[in-house]
Amino acid sequence: MNCKETTRFLHGYLDAELALGDALAVEEHLQGCPRCRTHHANLRAVQTAVRRHIEHHAAPASLRARLAARYGDEDGSTAASTRRWSGVAAAGAAALLLAAVWIGAGSVDDRSKRAAQLPAKVVVHISQSGSATAALRNLANHLEASPGTTVVVVAHNEGVDFLMRGARDASGQLYESAVAKLKSRGVDFRICGNTLVRLKFDSGQVIPAATLVPSGVAEISRLQTQEGYAYLRL
Amino acid sequence: MGRPLPEQQKRKRFERLVLPHSGTAYNLAIWLVRNEAQAEEAVQEAYLRAFQYFDAFRGENARPWLLRIVRNTCYTLIARNRELGEPDVFDEGDHGEETVAPGAVVSFPANPETAAIESADRELVQRCVGALPAEFREVVILRELQECSYKEISAIAEIPIGTVMSRLARGRRLLEVALDRHVERKETGT
Repeated sequence: MNCKETTRFLHGYLDAELALGDALAVEEHLQGCPRCRTHHANLRAVQTAVRRHIEHHAAPASLRARLAARYGDEDGSTAASTRRWSGVAAAGAAALLLAAVWIGAGSVDDRSKRAAQLPAKVVVHISQSGSATAALRNLANHLEASPGTTVVVVAHNEGVDFLMRGARDASGQLYESAVAKLKSRGVDFRICGNTLVRLKFDSGQVIPAATLVPSGVAEISRLQTQEGYAYLRL
Repeated sequence: MGRPLPEQQKRKRFERLVLPHSGTAYNLAIWLVRNEAQAEEAVQEAYLRAFQYFDAFRGENARPWLLRIVRNTCYTLIARNRELGEPDVFDEGDHGEETVAPGAVVSFPANPETAAIESADRELVQRCVGALPAEFREVVILRELQECSYKEISAIAEIPIGTVMSRLARGRRLLEVALDRHVERKETGT
């Protein structure tokens, strides 16, 4: 893949919308091209800045109540939907990461619904710094909904951050305790050795709960092709 | 068009599939119309329309379908307010559409600094995203805030996936430059 093609694919790569083959080709090009690497780093920085800081506007309670009263099932709809909201909120909050930013009951509900439909063996790919909080929360919700699922988390690229000793989420909570909780529920955490070398991390900086694998991408494709895992980017 | 559902059944289904997305709907609305009262108005109108057309909705995932209605409602509302001569909710300098027409050639500084972009704060990000022209702002919001896939964005904004990608690319490029430039200004105090 040359620079021109890479530039064209870079956003799809950033958004995990590429087929694995294209993603690997982009990765290979980035390894050898400082210019495209800078371009990629900048785009990643823009994405991280926007995701970290952009304001989630919660719908006013009065608006929710009006909509529920008008369009809810007539038999005490407001009470029923309030009960459901608080149920979802409580499950999410109790499961993990109390300090996670609450982005409105609508999307939390979406996520748990999506999670409930997941297949039995799942490899979760975390490749972005800052996406771990939401990913871990989704995972906890998912395990709540279907406890029998086998889950492997593969951290790769900037996504390795949360598995480093002392790493904290945006609200100052240690990731390590969230990881330990999930691990106690059977979730396996694997971290990409190539990334550690590239980002000049020492393996001693990685929390003990995570297992080192030589290549995150190879691990993901092995789990998918040889062990029948479904791929999921949370 | 589907056969109309019995009223009670329709309400139950609507309550289950559409009502839970009011938070997402409001969030998109406020980022499009940039004003709380108008966002509430847009969401209420959108729900009214959604309920009206709900018989024709198939499937279980109503979020993209609802957001598409919300988006349309927001743009109708913006156009209506312009016609009525109501003051635009944008600040003059915030509008963006006059300053950067889609496809216009903009001279970008050669090398925005990754570190500068990373140091952007909350206030700067709101300002820069808010200043994006609407067609870029909506894809950025749908992608980064609502975490929609390209396919969902394509359905919501009624544009081909290729256009989703080019608008995202353009939007992010504008943000890259804007964030870099503002951070620089702040540092040099100009």
